[in-house]
Amino acid sequence: MGDITKVRTVCRSCHGGCGVIAHVKDGKVIKVEGDPESPISHGTLCSKCLAITQLAYHPDRITYPMKKGNNGWERISWDEALDTVIGKFKEVIKEYGPESIVIGQGTGRDYESHLYRFANLLGTPNVLTAGHMCYVSRVAATLITCGNLPICDYPADPKCIVMWACNPQWTNPDEYKGEGFWRAYKRGSKLIVIDPRKGFLAKKADLWLQLRPGTDGALAFGFLHVIIEEGLYDETFVRNYIHGWEEFKKRVQEYPLERVEGITWVKKELIRNAAKIYATVKPACINWGVPTEQTLNCTDCTRLLTGLMAVTGNLDVPGGNAFFVPPPVRPVSQFSRHKDLSPEQWKKRLGGEQYKLAARVALITPKVAWDAILTGKPYPLKAGLLCGTNPVITRANAREAYEALKKINFLAVIDFFLTPTAELADVFLPAGTWLEQNHVADNWKRHGYALARQKVVEIGECWQDHKIFLELGKRMGQEWWDTVEDALDYLLEPSGLTWEQFKEKGFLKGEQVYHKYMDKGFSTPTGKVELYSTVLEKWGHDPLPKYREVPEGPVSKPELFKEYPYILNAGLRTPTFFHSANRMIPWLREIRPDPIVEIHPKTAAKHGIEDGDWVTIESPRGHVKERAKLTDSIDPRVVVAEHGWWFPEVKDPGHGWDTANINILTDNSHESMDPVMGATNLRVLLCKLSPCVEDQEELR
Amino acid sequence: MKKVSLIFFKNDCMGCHACEIACKQEHGFGVGPRLVRVIERAPDFIPIYCHHCTKAPCKAACPTKAISRNEQGIVLIDEELCIGCKECMEACPFGAMQFDDDRDVAVKCDLCVERLENNEEPACSKACATRCIFWGDTKQLSEKIVAARSKSANPTLDREVTGIEIA
Repeated sequence: MGDITKVRTVCRSCHGGCGVIAHVKDGKVIKVEGDPESPISHGTLCSKCLAITQLAYHPDRITYPMKKGNNGWERISWDEALDTVIGKFKEVIKEYGPESIVIGQGTGRDYESHLYRFANLLGTPNVLTAGHMCYVSRVAATLITCGNLPICDYPADPKCIVMWACNPQWTNPDEYKGEGFWRAYKRGSKLIVIDPRKGFLAKKADLWLQLRPGTDGALAFGFLHVIIEEGLYDETFVRNYIHGWEEFKKRVQEYPLERVEGITWVKKELIRNAAKIYATVKPACINWGVPTEQTLNCTDCTRLLTGLMAVTGNLDVPGGNAFFVPPPVRPVSQFSRHKDLSPEQWKKRLGGEQYKLAARVALITPKVAWDAILTGKPYPLKAGLLCGTNPVITRANAREAYEALKKINFLAVIDFFLTPTAELADVFLPAGTWLEQNHVADNWKRHGYALARQKVVEIGECWQDHKIFLELGKRMGQEWWDTVEDALDYLLEPSGLTWEQFKEKGFLKGEQVYHKYMDKGFSTPTGKVELYSTVLEKWGHDPLPKYREVPEGPVSKPELFKEYPYILNAGLRTPTFFHSANRMIPWLREIRPDPIVEIHPKTAAKHGIEDGDWVTIESPRGHVKERAKLTDSIDPRVVVAEHGWWFPEVKDPGHGWDTANINILTDNSHESMDPVMGATNLRVLLCKLSPCVEDQEELR
Repeated sequence: MKKVSLIFFKNDCMGCHACEIACKQEHGFGVGPRLVRVIERAPDFIPIYCHHCTKAPCKAACPTKAISRNEQGIVLIDEELCIGCKECMEACPFGAMQFDDDRDVAVKCDLCVERLENNEEPACSKACATRCIFWGDTKQLSEKIVAARSKSANPTLDREVTGIEIA
């Protein structure tokens, strides 16, 4: 028996970033612990990271390349797998052009640099990510409004934190780790929580605003109305750095508190109180979450929240919402070679004319991809490569996603397991977990850090995603490097460090400077914060933000509401799972064995639903079942359901993908999406409830 | 020898379950025994764990004297002596005693006694992102908890209750 060696690395069980010490014995990882020296997590870890050994060594994990033959999946060599993919791609390029190949990923997993480089050098503008409704949509809207994504400056002690539709302690999203927020909270910051559910943070908050799901934009108008009416804005900032203040003020006047209360269900006194605290207790920051993006108000809601940060003088100040200075490492955008996509190919981006903001950040909304596959219009997509994504579970209108991916002529996937999406593929390429990769991690985030994720072990024939793109790229004749580590040296070059040196160092942090706008202005066409957007105006859209009702709600569809009398707030997160991941991990599934729908006891009583019952949830697009959890922490008019569910233990190739998958119910029609970003509404729709007719005992 | 204790400051438990997985990993348990377990009654989260009671009911109930309390005050079970009768499970007022079906023995929190010997903190406490798991010298811990309880009724002072080393 060998000794235990300890390797310092960085997790990526969600978006990653937490510091890990991996314990290795006889070539196998036997344990992971938090790295106390990590500037991100300070030694703490979450359940997902702690369960990594059960994922990495899972008996169902696919550890060699496969192709689908006449008798199902069969093992092949990496050479055959890569040649098959490239052979197919070359055929498609010859016959249809590179735009007929779609390259896709799921949530940000630290390989967008490599994925985009492959796609751009291939010549396809059709990159499908989660970015149309998650994070990148926020980046995009802030790019055109204030030039960069402002991030809560937790290390510099905000005195007021507005937790707007986010539960960072469970989800640790993007730049934010719950641990960093909690330190700031414990140092005495005031806390305002905006959430339809009374969760842990609502309990801890000084003020909790329980809004109607999907009305965040209207609530932001309410805050702005108070701030303007009571003269609580930063006059110097507004005078010098806001473009279109008078027009913006006029728009805000359209949202008096009585109207906002009617829309949001939040009492106007409470809105006034919260707005006054946010505007006067300084510095203050807003920690926003994806529900603000996952409706048709995506872009405008982000612009309104940016407006709040700006007019209160909380933008790029210590303890406010700061623009963090990145470390001296080549940015993802440069590595990705976006400039090498020719203008001719750029113009061919599916939905690019309609969703101009999505095009600006180099992605497409899934609807246009599914349409191109299913209808061949405006041109067909013939082949695809999907990495770390399970769209038949996680994208709106899951049935359409399923039909499209079933129909596409050729599909290759990069993943750990045969997910319901992977089962639809022709070639399976086995990816390495974060224990199996060398990477300059977190480089895409805007928190000012780059972190050394170093390879701890190799498992089977799995390759880290970056290597797969590199090897595919080389076979396409693209410009890449000999090894993954050579590419990391290129990324790190501006820092003067090699990968080997960076690995020893552990992390790099940018040297933070605040108030950068005082010297350079904001990186927008006018150099100011464009609350009146010259970009949107140029594109023919309303240059001022507004609030719109979701197309399927009690206000927009009163007739439909009679048949579907509840607002379904879909997409509830859990601390043990990350989107559609981890359902096969025994430790995690033991904690959360079943998909949960939260129902108010009064609502449940109307339908004879008891705690723990399986419940049918039905929308105009279909029905699924989840288990009822009765809770008075939500409004009786609202039902809250978990997302991401499939059942790895179901051994047929569907793996129960349409049983409890909440996206069977969601809509992806163009009118339900954000008009410039193509953000899908994954959050707010109408539903009805009934107890499952099957025997409850049997379902248990 | 100084006595050691472990206590969760419930008010700050946010229900992430990291302690559970850290414990399983440390002790090599699969599905089944949960030496620490967090019950969700959102917005409250209730950790169920061994309090290493001074007059441990599990110890009193054990017919084979498999359960003992060491000089640090840690209540331990000798699995060799355990006959799998589950009397201790019934006796524990917290529901902290667990049963390992694979080996047919009762199992319990050992306060990571081996880690303590190596000057490492218990696995659950190390992972906890809100630092709501306090451990250490029993006397000091009792004082801390008394202070915490009085402060937790006051939302402003509540912020002062923390295991985080704030510079």
